[in-house]
Amino acid sequence: MSFAHEQVLPVAGGFGSLLPGGGLRRGSVVHLGGAVGSAALVAPLLAAATAVGEWAAVALLDDTFGALAAAEADVALERCAVVRRVPAERWATVVGALLEGFTVVSAVVPPHVRLGDARRLVARARERRAVLIAWRGAWPAEAALRIEAGASRWHGLERGDGLLAGRELTVVVENKGVSRTARLEMPLGTSLGSIVVAPVEAITTAPVTPAALAG
Amino acid sequence: MRADERALRTACVRIADWPVLCAVHAHPELRDRPVVVLERSGPREIVRAMSAAARASGIRVGMRRREAEACGVALHAIDVDLASEARRFEEVARSIESLTPRLELDVPGRLSFPTRGPARYFGGDAALVGRVHDTLTALLGADAAAVRVGIADGRFAARLAAREARSHADPDGRASFVVAPGESAAFLAPFPVAALGDPGFAELLERLGLVTLGDFANLAPPDVLARFGHDGVRCHDLARGVDATPLDLSTPPPDLVESFEFDPPAKRVDTAAFAAKALADRLLARLADRGLGCTRVRVEAETEHGEQLARVWRHEGALTPAALAERVRWQLDGWLAAVGPAAGVVEGDVRGQQDLAALADLELDSPTGALVLLRLVPEAVVPGRGRQLGFWGGDAAATDRADRALGRVQGMLGFDQVGTCVVQGGRTPAEQIAFIPWGEPREPRRPVQVGGEIAVWPGRIPAPAPGRVFDPPVRAELVAADGSAIRVNGRGEVGDDLAVLRCAALPDGGGRVVGWAGPWLHDVRWWDRQARRRRAVFQVLVAAAGPERGAVACLVAVERGRAALDAVYD
Repeated sequence: MSFAHEQVLPVAGGFGSLLPGGGLRRGSVVHLGGAVGSAALVAPLLAAATAVGEWAAVALLDDTFGALAAAEADVALERCAVVRRVPAERWATVVGALLEGFTVVSAVVPPHVRLGDARRLVARARERRAVLIAWRGAWPAEAALRIEAGASRWHGLERGDGLLAGRELTVVVENKGVSRTARLEMPLGTSLGSIVVAPVEAITTAPVTPAALAG
Repeated sequence: MRADERALRTACVRIADWPVLCAVHAHPELRDRPVVVLERSGPREIVRAMSAAARASGIRVGMRRREAEACGVALHAIDVDLASEARRFEEVARSIESLTPRLELDVPGRLSFPTRGPARYFGGDAALVGRVHDTLTALLGADAAAVRVGIADGRFAARLAAREARSHADPDGRASFVVAPGESAAFLAPFPVAALGDPGFAELLERLGLVTLGDFANLAPPDVLARFGHDGVRCHDLARGVDATPLDLSTPPPDLVESFEFDPPAKRVDTAAFAAKALADRLLARLADRGLGCTRVRVEAETEHGEQLARVWRHEGALTPAALAERVRWQLDGWLAAVGPAAGVVEGDVRGQQDLAALADLELDSPTGALVLLRLVPEAVVPGRGRQLGFWGGDAAATDRADRALGRVQGMLGFDQVGTCVVQGGRTPAEQIAFIPWGEPREPRRPVQVGGEIAVWPGRIPAPAPGRVFDPPVRAELVAADGSAIRVNGRGEVGDDLAVLRCAALPDGGGRVVGWAGPWLHDVRWWDRQARRRRAVFQVLVAAAGPERGAVACLVAVERGRAALDAVYD
């Protein structure tokens, strides 16, 4: 037996406020997609694990993990393992092994993952009370939460002048069939923990509500 | 080896199959029959000890009752009676106490003591061993054949020596084995790592190809610390024949001593044991508050007639409240038996036949009277590292789990593909991160701080850092409006306005440049003619396709007129 708040790894800042319960529910699978922008969202999710002394792992098909950006987002790099160049044919085995030992496993999904493998990983995550973040690729199995990084707007850069400063990232969070679109303001700060603390400008609920129909 | 690392010369006295001896003592008709002593472990009964006849038929410790019964002999199964084991062992402790006052009990059936004083007094280790055998033969009679004595440097080596003693028995059947001073490391070397008594750790060592204690002992202590942490160092010390347990400490501060006064005096064992449980909990909680665990505790009691009783119990690793309470209870049982109505009778003892329930009801109406005071004194404390739980269960166990998982993945993918990252000095995001394979020390190649000051890297790309870093960079095309490649001259002047960035790693292959900054000029290794590189790095904002009119920020380096994508602000 454990309390509800013990089953959620709290995610800091405005991004956390978009997630049900304010964070990652242990034992669940989160799909995190988007052409560009998902790395800015995966870092606070990894930090949610390392902030409470647990371990996080990142599994990549290549070797492009921006660890410096993760460090800026308050990820404790000494408790964040990186597994790189995972071959697609051994991906499910590797991710399964990582779920045995890590609280949050963020794995880039290779193309053509078999449904059976994906389901097994969902079951493994539930059994080990770990969080599997199926990152970037298409996830054939069920996911408790689907997060999509949308377009980014950048501040501070002009033609030949200025510096990259802040960023506005559109995020769509789909939870139990209800999707919310929000714009995350990420001003440049000393740490991404403060960057993500930002007002959520617009929240729209995708399914039409009875109230909207009445109006 | 440091001077203070010398292990204390220790004797270990072990009585083989002690539970069986106790059981046979209680049921003399079972002598020389196949006997197993069973203990309950969850829903099943498992074998705790067996007699020589049972061992000969293939029965081993840890077997389930049914497995043991399937070995094809007419077994006599007896339930474990820890109280009677402890009670009878107290007699053994008392008789050894006539040789040396500094006894430490590990479990019923095994005790150890430092030999320096008694060996000098009796004229050497061999003479001391003889004395121990004489004493125990007088006490145990025929059962003394099961006594094993080992003497070595350090408790761990002494324990293994006692285990080896059987094959070094003298013609009279007295089993003893003395490891010469300074020879303990060599004596330990051929033992398998499983002898360390930590199955998980032993398995890890075996997977790493370290099969014997000697293999493990050959590692350099700093490497062991880096790879296995403090528990690993403790095991490494044992394997090297260095006793990790600190030598006799001075008197611990009085506020760490827990005592309980019985008012009215405790006349029954179960009353005293109940208080002992609370006392054990309180003592260990107080120690845990200070981040300490206890490995050796002295149990002291006073009777209403002013007699003082004391006995030291020792434990491998820190004692848990349950383990401590159990030891205190054993000790109380032992004392009560000694001061009980039949005190003084050794041969033809009727006490062994009393079962636990009868003992609990036994009133302390002996000449020494009831207990008025029970005191627990922590004699040796260790940092209680493994027991400091963090939030959400984050603790050393989490590290162990992660370590095992990474070890397995390293086995699948190769040593170099699994590790952690560490921030180091450098200019570009790729340079500022070092990937450290798991198991190697996490040290950056270029320290971030030099002499307490943060090292300055001219031309370092300012924050934020990009989320996706390509190392090596991906080829790209950075062109001006007229389609010519962007060039940067030696003074860092950009010829044209940047118009288009094309790269396979960008979504939709890149696009129109809507903003840019830079260049940051990197003159890398300018002191080395061969390795010198000059490059200019731009932050570039590329318009993304799609209705939302977003943009993708990236880092592009131009080197010798060729552009390459360094990173994407993913």
